[in-house]
Amino acid sequence: MQDQLSSLLAKAQAEFPALASRPDYEAAKARYVGPNGELTALMKQMGTVPKEQRPAMGKLINEAKTQLQALLDATLQRLEHLELTAQLGPAIDPTLPAPDCGPGTYHPLTLVREEMCRILRKVGFVVADGPEVETEYYCFDALNTPADHPARDAQDTFYFPDNARFGNVSKKTSEEKYLLRTHTSSVQIRTMLKGPPPIRIVSPGRVYRRDTTDATHSANFHQLECLYVDKNVTVRDLKALLDYIFASLLGKETKTRFRPHYFGYTEPSFEVDLTAKHLPKVNKEWIEIGGCGMVDPTVFDAVGYDSKVWSGYAFGMGLERLAMLLYGIDDIRYFYQNDLRFLKQFA
Amino acid sequence: MKISLNWLKTYLQLDVSVEEITRAITFLGLEVEGVISTGAPKLDNVFVGEVLTRDKHPNADKLSVCTVDVGLVHGVKTIVCGAQNYKVGDRVPVSLPGAVLPGNFVIKQAKVRGQLSDGMMCSAKELGVAEDASGLLILTDRPALGLPINQVLPAGDTVFDLEVTPNRPDCLSHLGVARELAAWFKQDLVYPQIKFRGEIDETLGIVQRPDLLQSVRVEAPEDCPLYTAHVVSGVKVGPSPTWMQERLTAAGLRPINNLVDVTNYVMLEYGQPLHAFDARRLAGHQIVVRRANDGEKLITLDGKERVLSGRMLVIADAEKPVVVAGVMGGENSGVADDTTDIVLEAAIFRRQSVRWTSKRLGLSSDSSYRFERGVDPHTTLEAAYRALDLIVETAGGKIVGPMCKVGGDKPWSREIVVTPDYVRERLGFDIADAEMKAALESLELNVVREETPDEGGLRWTVSIPSWRDDLDRPIDLVEEVLRLYGTERIPPAVVQSPGLLADDDPIVRFNRRATDYLVGHDFHECVNYTLRPAKELATWTSQTAAAELALANPFVEDQSHLRPTLIMGLLESLKLNRSRGVPAARLFETGRVFIERNGQNFECAAVGFVVAEETERRWLQREAADFFGAKHHIEALAASAGIDLARQPFVPLTGQAWGWQEGQSATVGDLQHGWFAQLGLLSLALVKSLGLEGKVYAGTFAILPEKLTADTTRRRFAPFGLFPAALRDLALVVEAGTPADEVRKVLAKTARAAVGNAFALESVNVFDVYRGQGLPEGKKSLAFGLVFRSAERTLTDDEVNGVFQKIQDELVKTAGYAIRK
Repeated sequence: MQDQLSSLLAKAQAEFPALASRPDYEAAKARYVGPNGELTALMKQMGTVPKEQRPAMGKLINEAKTQLQALLDATLQRLEHLELTAQLGPAIDPTLPAPDCGPGTYHPLTLVREEMCRILRKVGFVVADGPEVETEYYCFDALNTPADHPARDAQDTFYFPDNARFGNVSKKTSEEKYLLRTHTSSVQIRTMLKGPPPIRIVSPGRVYRRDTTDATHSANFHQLECLYVDKNVTVRDLKALLDYIFASLLGKETKTRFRPHYFGYTEPSFEVDLTAKHLPKVNKEWIEIGGCGMVDPTVFDAVGYDSKVWSGYAFGMGLERLAMLLYGIDDIRYFYQNDLRFLKQFA
Repeated sequence: MKISLNWLKTYLQLDVSVEEITRAITFLGLEVEGVISTGAPKLDNVFVGEVLTRDKHPNADKLSVCTVDVGLVHGVKTIVCGAQNYKVGDRVPVSLPGAVLPGNFVIKQAKVRGQLSDGMMCSAKELGVAEDASGLLILTDRPALGLPINQVLPAGDTVFDLEVTPNRPDCLSHLGVARELAAWFKQDLVYPQIKFRGEIDETLGIVQRPDLLQSVRVEAPEDCPLYTAHVVSGVKVGPSPTWMQERLTAAGLRPINNLVDVTNYVMLEYGQPLHAFDARRLAGHQIVVRRANDGEKLITLDGKERVLSGRMLVIADAEKPVVVAGVMGGENSGVADDTTDIVLEAAIFRRQSVRWTSKRLGLSSDSSYRFERGVDPHTTLEAAYRALDLIVETAGGKIVGPMCKVGGDKPWSREIVVTPDYVRERLGFDIADAEMKAALESLELNVVREETPDEGGLRWTVSIPSWRDDLDRPIDLVEEVLRLYGTERIPPAVVQSPGLLADDDPIVRFNRRATDYLVGHDFHECVNYTLRPAKELATWTSQTAAAELALANPFVEDQSHLRPTLIMGLLESLKLNRSRGVPAARLFETGRVFIERNGQNFECAAVGFVVAEETERRWLQREAADFFGAKHHIEALAASAGIDLARQPFVPLTGQAWGWQEGQSATVGDLQHGWFAQLGLLSLALVKSLGLEGKVYAGTFAILPEKLTADTTRRRFAPFGLFPAALRDLALVVEAGTPADEVRKVLAKTARAAVGNAFALESVNVFDVYRGQGLPEGKKSLAFGLVFRSAERTLTDDEVNGVFQKIQDELVKTAGYAIRK
């Protein structure tokens, strides 16, 4: 019987590696350890073994059974592995390109706008928004730009016919005209009319000028404005904000300067220049980047703020101009052509 | 406004570099757009010489060999010359060895084709005095031989081209700019000496000449608050003196004759426009300031006939208009070569009136430019007297009566009370009282009273000069102090950054979410113009809608209407990329669109995208875009605006589908409820007409900004069952035209009713749509998977089967659907 067990194991060892599928395995398993299997048959012979030999023989049979089980387990593992590998194709070539288009890209104007908003949010400004179709009151009158002011010329501003109606753009007076806003300052007025100070907003958005489109002009372009209204806001605070913005944006070596200027809605008013010699395509020492000033008391009067109590500053700039400066872009029209070779450069 | 440095120097000492002056002007708030140097530069070793002989060069046809006398010191030189425009006896500039001409051209003794040349005779261009390079600069007034050339040529000048802000009309003059610079450099300003003071003293032989000017009548004083007229008799028209011509030329005006030049000169000096009439050409010797008659005509000095209207103001004589008031004179009354007696007008016209007329006529002039911005009426007479002095000086003649002055009776007086503390508070830093006061007074803003009231500190009363009409509040003086103190001296500070007062506007958050989503799905963000051509709108909206979206005054034809959809711009971008051979397939934009509804426009926040067929060949082909890809994106985009599309009916676009392909596109929502979306295949015809190949799928979602609100509702947790689900599949045969969602709703309703309270129907999903073999004509099969679950126990097959059978029976009975086995 010992010989029988040995030859049985030897046979199994020879046979199992050749098993190639799960049915083969199941059949082999039945042949050895199934109810009619060879090992089972040997075990049934135990009764014929003399009583004194039975413990030794039982031990032998158990050993054989364990070994056989180990062989079966190994075989099953081997087959399972084979089954999984069979699900795979040939090895991939990781150097082939991904066959999908992409990745998507953010427009450079979005990138610059969001960067400005992040910088300003750090110092307490939240983003405000307002309609692009505006009325004369919000765009001009409330901003101390009276009816006979040259800025209101039909030559420079897009107007709508007198009978045009905009269901969700409110008018202050029924006789005023609708127009396309020439600056985002109208958002300042709408924000101030909505609630009391203090106010700290940044309003980026699309504006319109009746102008020839060329390398530096566009029929519509984007502005970004800040408005801060609180008690005791000073010129020095305004300068500090501008210094902070451009140092954050362009690096600590960037300096700003104020040139006295004139805007109807601020007093005093300044134009803001910056030096950024480290930027590409900048060959002038000072580059004009925006306008700013202390909110004119007339504007506070228009929105019902007490100009004896409240003071504030406003700052505005063109986003295209900033993006052109940051990225070294030399023609504003690229922003509106959406050539993918342009768009993919910035995101 | 062009300002000559030489001219400025007649009013104050400016011994500083051009750079320093440029900087001063800049920080005073007058933008310097350009600095141009004119006239001869400093030239050493260039002298006046005379050509003594001229012989043909033996070795060159076009050259001459000349002997030139350069005066006693330098003697006679031999010079080879290529110019042709001179003759023996002409005096010309001669550069001798050692001279350095503009362009760093060093003159040396040299051999020219074998002939020694001791220097060079020069053209105007070679000397840097003018552009003329056609020949030698012939010095026709024969200056002395050997004189250094700088003593002969007009001195150099520097011209600053200034951009003067509209609040500072006083700086549209040399005196105005000089006043600012005097304040900056702490120099005294010397005003011109004016001899004539308005006295017509008959004892001095000054006589009344009503035969030259009888009367001045102002019929429209509201538009002409001041009119003055003076008469000069016996003038002789001729060229104005060189100094005046040089200054006018530097300032960009062409010298004409002494009388016209004086009026221009004084305008550039004082900022007061003036006009000179030929007295004999004023019919009736009358001046009437009146409104034009409708249709009245006048040929202005530029030679064009102007048709006037009743709102325009004119200066007229007894018969006809002679000047468009404040804008331009007429040909019929101006100074001519034989003029002997003139009437000089110095007046003030209301700025709005001049502006209106100038706009209406499309005619602007140095005069109208100044009147539109405001001319100081309290300087008008001063300027007139200055001009009369200069006329007598340059054209001779005598000032005679009558002197006419109408209006201008209101004396000027303005004072502003300000405290130094207020100025410091507004500035946010310290400036000493004394420095502040000095700054103000340097601008002739004199502190006329200084008080220290019981409460509060020092208080000043500041008198404002008449030319500073822009100053009328304490805050205006803050700016003046700061200008003179220097904006570069504002001390640095740290930004005060208290906490946020609010949240970003909901529109901003919608835009960010939509943008992030689409960029995350491989779309490229585009920015297109808001204004679109009319013919493009015709593809996308009705004619009535397009009419509502039209601008009143478009600038160019192809930008005449507000965009009703972002898709048109995206198609244009697609086309541009394709035409440039750049593969582009997935583009999007966020921005405003304008939707017409019942005769009203609504400004909406919107997002739109296009998915075109890929033009780039790839080694592995991905599945092509389809309607349901677009639907998936639209659902996500609507969600970014807080709109859940799960329960919203998608309706096929049929009939007039505008830019969309009928049967392959859909709409959901309605602007009436504040939002809507359109999606699917773009019209094949439209896409083809744009020259784009292949199909383009697109989607657009628009919402009224006021519908976007801060999401404040707090979600509540909904518990879910942990027992196993029971799944059943059911295929229903329905009419082919029945929308799947309608069937799903009926099925869900029926199933819920059948389940009752026993357990729950968790979901119903369509997983197969089939048409064709095995089904009757005009029918389709929709297969749904139903998921049942109980929160309390494991469901038994029996109870689920019972309910499932009930559902089937009910559907067949009430909905008329067949069950597909």
